[in-house]
Amino acid sequence: MDNMLVTVNLKKYFPIRGGLLGAKKGEVKAVDGVNMAIRKGETFGLVGESGCGKTTCGKTVIRLLKPDGGQIFFDPKGGLPENPGDNYGQFDIARLRGKQLKGLRRHMQIVYQNPSTSLNPRMLVKDLVAEPLIVHKICKGAEAEKRVLEIFEDVGLSSEHLHRYPHEFSGGQKQRIAVARALITNPEFVVLDEPTSSVDVSVRASLLQLFKELQRKMGLTYLFISHDLSVVQVLCDRVAVMYLGKIVEVAESKELFNNPLHPYTQALFSAIPIPDPETKRKRIILKGEPPSPAKPPLGCKFHPRCPKAMELCATNEPMLIETRRGHWVACHLY
Amino acid sequence: MKMVKVKGRFRGGESPRIRELAFILNRIRRSPLSIAGIIIVLFFTFIAIFAPVLAHPQPNRDPYMMPRYGFSPIPRPPGPDFLFGTTEGQYDLYYGIIWGARTAYRIGVLVVAVSMIMGIVIGSIAGYYKGVIDEVLMRITDIILAFPALILAMAFVVAFGRGLDSITFALILVWWPSYARLVRGEVLKITAEDFVEAAKAIGCSDFRIMVRHVLPNTIFPLIVMASLDIGSVVLTAAALSFLGLGAPTGYADWGQIISLSRNWITGAPGNPFAYWHTYIIPGVFLFLFVMGWNLLGDALRDVFDPMIRRR
Amino acid sequence: MQPPVLAEKEQLKVQDLMVRFYTYEGIVKAVEKAKLKLRLGETLGIVGETGSGKSVTALTIMALTPTPGKVEGGNIYFRLTSGEIVDVLKLRGVELLKIRGKEISMIFQEPNAALDPLYTVGDQIAEAILTHRLPEMLERVNQLKKKEADSFLMRLPIFRGIFEKRLLNQVVREEIVQLLRLMEIPDPERVLDSYPHELSGGMQQRIVIAIALACSPALLLADEPTTNLDVTVQAQILDLIMRLKQRFGMSIIYITHDMGVIAEICDRVAVMYAGNVVEVAPVKEIFKNPLHPYTKALLESIPKPGSAFKSIPGTVPNLVNPPSGCRFHPRCAYAMKKCSVEVPQLKEVSKEHNVACFLHGDA
Repeated sequence: MDNMLVTVNLKKYFPIRGGLLGAKKGEVKAVDGVNMAIRKGETFGLVGESGCGKTTCGKTVIRLLKPDGGQIFFDPKGGLPENPGDNYGQFDIARLRGKQLKGLRRHMQIVYQNPSTSLNPRMLVKDLVAEPLIVHKICKGAEAEKRVLEIFEDVGLSSEHLHRYPHEFSGGQKQRIAVARALITNPEFVVLDEPTSSVDVSVRASLLQLFKELQRKMGLTYLFISHDLSVVQVLCDRVAVMYLGKIVEVAESKELFNNPLHPYTQALFSAIPIPDPETKRKRIILKGEPPSPAKPPLGCKFHPRCPKAMELCATNEPMLIETRRGHWVACHLY
Repeated sequence: MKMVKVKGRFRGGESPRIRELAFILNRIRRSPLSIAGIIIVLFFTFIAIFAPVLAHPQPNRDPYMMPRYGFSPIPRPPGPDFLFGTTEGQYDLYYGIIWGARTAYRIGVLVVAVSMIMGIVIGSIAGYYKGVIDEVLMRITDIILAFPALILAMAFVVAFGRGLDSITFALILVWWPSYARLVRGEVLKITAEDFVEAAKAIGCSDFRIMVRHVLPNTIFPLIVMASLDIGSVVLTAAALSFLGLGAPTGYADWGQIISLSRNWITGAPGNPFAYWHTYIIPGVFLFLFVMGWNLLGDALRDVFDPMIRRR
Repeated sequence: MQPPVLAEKEQLKVQDLMVRFYTYEGIVKAVEKAKLKLRLGETLGIVGETGSGKSVTALTIMALTPTPGKVEGGNIYFRLTSGEIVDVLKLRGVELLKIRGKEISMIFQEPNAALDPLYTVGDQIAEAILTHRLPEMLERVNQLKKKEADSFLMRLPIFRGIFEKRLLNQVVREEIVQLLRLMEIPDPERVLDSYPHELSGGMQQRIVIAIALACSPALLLADEPTTNLDVTVQAQILDLIMRLKQRFGMSIIYITHDMGVIAEICDRVAVMYAGNVVEVAPVKEIFKNPLHPYTKALLESIPKPGSAFKSIPGTVPNLVNPPSGCRFHPRCAYAMKKCSVEVPQLKEVSKEHNVACFLHGDA
């Protein structure tokens, strides 16, 4: 009963337009029926490769995009059960609009992958970070500047950084500015969309340390999206693996990495290069290319590339079932 | 390519905005043509501002009407009495040129400013909301772009009478579509960037996003276009005045002045350049004005070129 | 008699390379006295972060230093397939064109930026083949011509020209299909006629590799070719590169920041920091016994489950005004007084293991 964000059958499709008048030719099913439950205070990891829909999922969950189906239950106090029914209708944010939607923004924020493009190059850092305060009419002017300095201290910046433009900073510092901007309204839920991918390896660790500290200090709940499995393994409490718009496996981080059940997860993990020349990992090399989300295969979406595919896999889509405690898989093998 | 070592550069200091300005000035320094453009523009600005001092207006008379010193149609050459001579009807050419600079700025700035504002409003709405709104607005823009400026100006003159106001209206109507298109293109490009989505994620209203995030990033191409356009607008207005559609006879407007020299271009028998001062002098000033603004616009375009911007 | 510049089994030797960039902010000392050695058939990994100078070094090996960079000193000795040794930095014009693409090839991080969107993929590979292997292709055309000789049409020069052109296209096309098969690209005839944007990232990168290997270069430079690819695709491409290396017998310089990739495919590793080469060693040595403090810190910053995050304090220095002496000293946990005064030179500390640090051996 301590979930903050629960999605039920979440769907997000993108139309493919073509022809003279831009008629709809087809759909890209970026997120196709995703069920997630994120507990208050945890770091929930979402992994997958390009095209799997993890970024779309992250953006839809905080209502940056409008979902095409399903429900998103959000309770900043973290009191949702894992299967909210109709009683919890007032927490469903899937169809919010206007003022209510704007009010939501104080509680849910996002940090983007590339701070060079997510910070307005023509705005001073102080204005960038103070903007949420002004937009939500929390405070302005000198008081806002004070709050900015406070959050700066939390993220490791100082007052001398206030009156500068983003391009004058290094990648790691820019990302800290983005984090400051996201956290200045004290949100409860933050989506981190590959926040360390654009940053140098040596700086990565300090950013991860920062995320951990801030979570502890401010009581944050994270949705951590990444394709870098080594980072996810260390930072996240629970991890979900996505493939072509669907979640194929969810488990506690340690359990998942020690004991991956889904063939895709197994192949994914085996593909990570290990920084140790002595161990020779047995690679599972998948055949073929990741398929296009516009024309997904029938049945289990992974079956054309699966080394363990059976006849059943081509016709029936497997559902997520709990094999061990807390470990869910969507595969006919189980 | 030889490296140009920049000595004694403009220093920025603490304020970031001043540092930006210093960067711009440093870049302009490097190109002699840009400096020439700036000097020319400053020269004309000076003349325009100090027109009443440089050429005293006559009492009880509209300062924009050139003073006449006689009624003889034959223009008098430059001499000690009249610095640039007189043109047909004994209008003082020097006075006309000086006050003509003011007229040029009035038309140029007015047309460009109003077109820019209209273009920004229409272009940003079209580019931001896309879809049907974009289609409709852009088709309207296309239709207006197809209008020939000259014919439209003539239609306005017939409807509202001759004068600079008529042609100003006509020019504004014909000029704003190019700004709308430019702004729309830039807005489309910028709204695809992450920071616009980030602003949405913070909860900014559409209006705030457009004004605080999108438009400031589209300013540079606009400034370049505007400075190049001032020259074009003045040239077009001069052509219209020359044809008799614009300024009334005797008005201090370069195109009008050239119009007065129409009968004297061929000169006197035996001396084809007898009355050169009636058309060469205003022509040269017009040419320099447009050239100066073009060079400035080019210089600004070089400065704001994104490749160089990103250093 | 002078001793040969390159030892018998050496492919490449970079000596005291200095590259400087003349920018608005000042002179960026991007690469400072870099030293590298590469043996025939070896895979050398270059590890470094932003500002380390690794990409600039690689581009300079092909004499493609990006403007406003200038090579201010040093030599790059390279052994051609013929056995001849040249200094790449002293070559000009036609000589240089004969090396690029034929003796030394490069693949980059962004495959869709390396491919021209206006031409089909087949056209781009053909360009590489026709630029460097034209005589060979024409020879094959001649052989085919002999079979068709003496028909009436062949007597007319116009038709003969068209016919020869078609034969050339056919010959080159066959060669490309062969090459694509080597790259393990399914359905090569269809891929040949595709445009780059119609292919996935992994496929595009394979095409880029095909272009690079079209002329069997002696040295392949790879600048983070798999960084932007998915993990599973990266595994496939790394696998492919290793197998191609066996087949073509070329040497590879592989630039990356991913220590895992280094561990997988490299024989020796060079670590670069702020324009200097700070450590070079065989791959097992580097992981087991890193000597330079930067190398140690880099290995420690790799996230490991169960242990805290360790990052390197400070930031990469501004190369317009780099720190005096050893460029790493402001961030070094072991810095001594000497480090801020003198620049440590790369010295051999144990067999095959070179370090530039005052902690190890007298520099």
